[in-house]
Amino acid sequence: MRKILLMAKRDYLESIRAKSFILGLIVAPLLFGGGFLGIAIIKNRPDLRDRRIAIVDRTGAAADLIIRAAREKNDEEVYAKGTHRQVLPRYVFETVAPSAGDGKEQRVALSDRVRSRELAAFLEIWPEALQVEPKLDAENGGKQAARVAIYSNSTGVDNTRNWLRDPVNRALRRLHLGRLGVAEDGQEVILQSVPLSAMSLPVRDARTGGVQDGKKTDGSEIAAPLGLVMLLTMIVMVGTAPMLSAVTEDKGQRIFEMLLGLATPFELMAARVLAALGRALTSSAFYIAGAILVLQGMSMLGIVPFGLLPWFFVYLIAHVIMLCSFAAALGAACSSPQDAQNLAVVLVAPIMIPYFLLVPVMESPNGTLSTVISLIPPFTPPMMLLRQALPGGVAWWQPWLGLVLVIGWTIGGTFAAARIFRVAILMQGQAPKLREMMRWAVKG
Amino acid sequence: MPFAVQLSRVTKTFGAVVAVDDLSLSVPEGAVFGFIGPNGSGKTTTIRMIVNINYPDSGELMVFGEPMVPARTGLIGYLPEERGLYRKMKVRQLLQFFGELRCGHKVSAEVDEWLERLDLSRCADRRVETLSKGMSQRVQFIAAVVPAPRLLILDEPFTGLDPVSADALRDAILYLRQRGATVILSTHDMSVAETLCDNIFMIFGGRKVLDGSLESIQAQYGNDTVRVSVSDPGALANLPGAELIRDLGQAQELRIDRSCDPQRLLRTLVERTGVNSFSVAKPSLHDIFVRIAGPGAADA
Repeated sequence: MRKILLMAKRDYLESIRAKSFILGLIVAPLLFGGGFLGIAIIKNRPDLRDRRIAIVDRTGAAADLIIRAAREKNDEEVYAKGTHRQVLPRYVFETVAPSAGDGKEQRVALSDRVRSRELAAFLEIWPEALQVEPKLDAENGGKQAARVAIYSNSTGVDNTRNWLRDPVNRALRRLHLGRLGVAEDGQEVILQSVPLSAMSLPVRDARTGGVQDGKKTDGSEIAAPLGLVMLLTMIVMVGTAPMLSAVTEDKGQRIFEMLLGLATPFELMAARVLAALGRALTSSAFYIAGAILVLQGMSMLGIVPFGLLPWFFVYLIAHVIMLCSFAAALGAACSSPQDAQNLAVVLVAPIMIPYFLLVPVMESPNGTLSTVISLIPPFTPPMMLLRQALPGGVAWWQPWLGLVLVIGWTIGGTFAAARIFRVAILMQGQAPKLREMMRWAVKG
Repeated sequence: MPFAVQLSRVTKTFGAVVAVDDLSLSVPEGAVFGFIGPNGSGKTTTIRMIVNINYPDSGELMVFGEPMVPARTGLIGYLPEERGLYRKMKVRQLLQFFGELRCGHKVSAEVDEWLERLDLSRCADRRVETLSKGMSQRVQFIAAVVPAPRLLILDEPFTGLDPVSADALRDAILYLRQRGATVILSTHDMSVAETLCDNIFMIFGGRKVLDGSLESIQAQYGNDTVRVSVSDPGALANLPGAELIRDLGQAQELRIDRSCDPQRLLRTLVERTGVNSFSVAKPSLHDIFVRIAGPGAADA
């Protein structure tokens, strides 16, 4: 143990004194949070130029109603209440008389106006839009024929399409209601939508017996769980990924044989993993302390899930040990930086897969899929932590079962990694083969 | 006689390759013990087993009378053939790290003493990456000997060294032996083995082919070598009972068979050309090495 600690201390001190570590502390959150930051910045600085939409109304009755509904929406959304500052672009409309025939030439002409940016898009409303039973298009595999179409130069996820959905539907419903004889005043009552207020569950105080009513939730309650999981992912990624190339580099520089005269391969690997763990704990302490100070300054300390911090650190330790052992074994098996680059994807996969599963797990934190995924050891740390942090939490036994599985997996994985490391560390000039590594892991 | 290292019928294989085959060997304590053998003959594998990096498949390996276990690695100083150092570390800091790793306590005084001995004191605070190759090799040597080990294993320590650095290293090895250390020296330089080693062991194809003092090894071959210097080296062709085995440029080595009389050979040579020098000697280690492991060895 003395040798492990001595080598780990050397590795740890060398790495945290490196400029790259200090730079990484600042750059990593920007890389991980950069996407969200970018979205927030873009969302706060939309293009405020008017968006002109042409309407080709083949019903002869919908265009005016659409323009009216759109004007109502413009009045509601374009200017911030209170400041009257414009926050969204205004949609303006022009009607275009439908041409005779199938309208292809007209669509080309309007498309040219879109291409020249005179128009943002054009709408074509077919008479079928007013039919209750949609017409099926035999030429299109029996799917519904288009009843209202929007033509634009943008993708299907363009905001214009989303924005227009409401005024178009509102206008068509008004038409239907009018035909059914509902007076205009009555139509508003029917068409108005009532928001559903999201509330947390009421709780009974175990000591006083009093009931604390549910609180209104607005989505911000997932900020802390998500932040915690992203922090875990970021620290594990930043702490683990360099291990692969560092071991390969030291192997290439023939440092290990000098050390193998003084320490066992297991001691060498354990020291590397311990140093990486030290780095990870240093980074996380830095970020968590920083976050607490910032939130305290913003009087938002209440959103910090202090009760989950012990779990966070337990999962962090297990995750780093598990992945760093794996990285050290892979690094030992590589003979060149190119080999290490090729294998990096194998190492990063257990970190990134849970990252892509965040949304489905948040949508249904106690569903079967979420439960199963969070009990698969390589995915347990981020997934179980996320489920624990979300409102409602998880059954008490699940984190403990997950932890037992993670510890078992970590011990087994580290043992196998040490065997691979021992065999591979002095081999030169051979590209790593998965089958060979499996054999070394089993037989040593 | 106490032995620093004893191998008894040790075998080590890597897949289908037998790297060391039923090898028995005893290294006396306090000796400078030369390991020679062609590339791929099993030298490094044998050394790695002694240092406990590789484990024998069969046989017994004892170091100072006890089995080699990880806890005893502190007894051994090891300078591998393929060696590297932490390039970003400062020299003194690095040597203290290696010394402490070996013995478990601070070794500042020993490090300073060795830096002085190998003329590296002025580089003590420089980063390893700024050193020349020769300086790096001397630093690597110190990393293997701080604090003084009971057994020192050096794999090609003189490779790439200039004569001054080589002399400094040679002096250091002799100094360590004087202080009681046993030295195993693996080398391809036969003159180093001849002049520095008390005993010489040669491994070829994983098997022991020579083991003993230089004199005892040479005695096995008798006085079958003639070193001559002649005016016309072409006159050495087709000599009865002798063949040219090595042309050293200014001198030539001939091997004579048992029926050849050196006096008659000298007379023949004088008749053919001018003879500047003529001596009958035991074969050099180089010659013995080539006889065992040279191109014709496999057919022999």
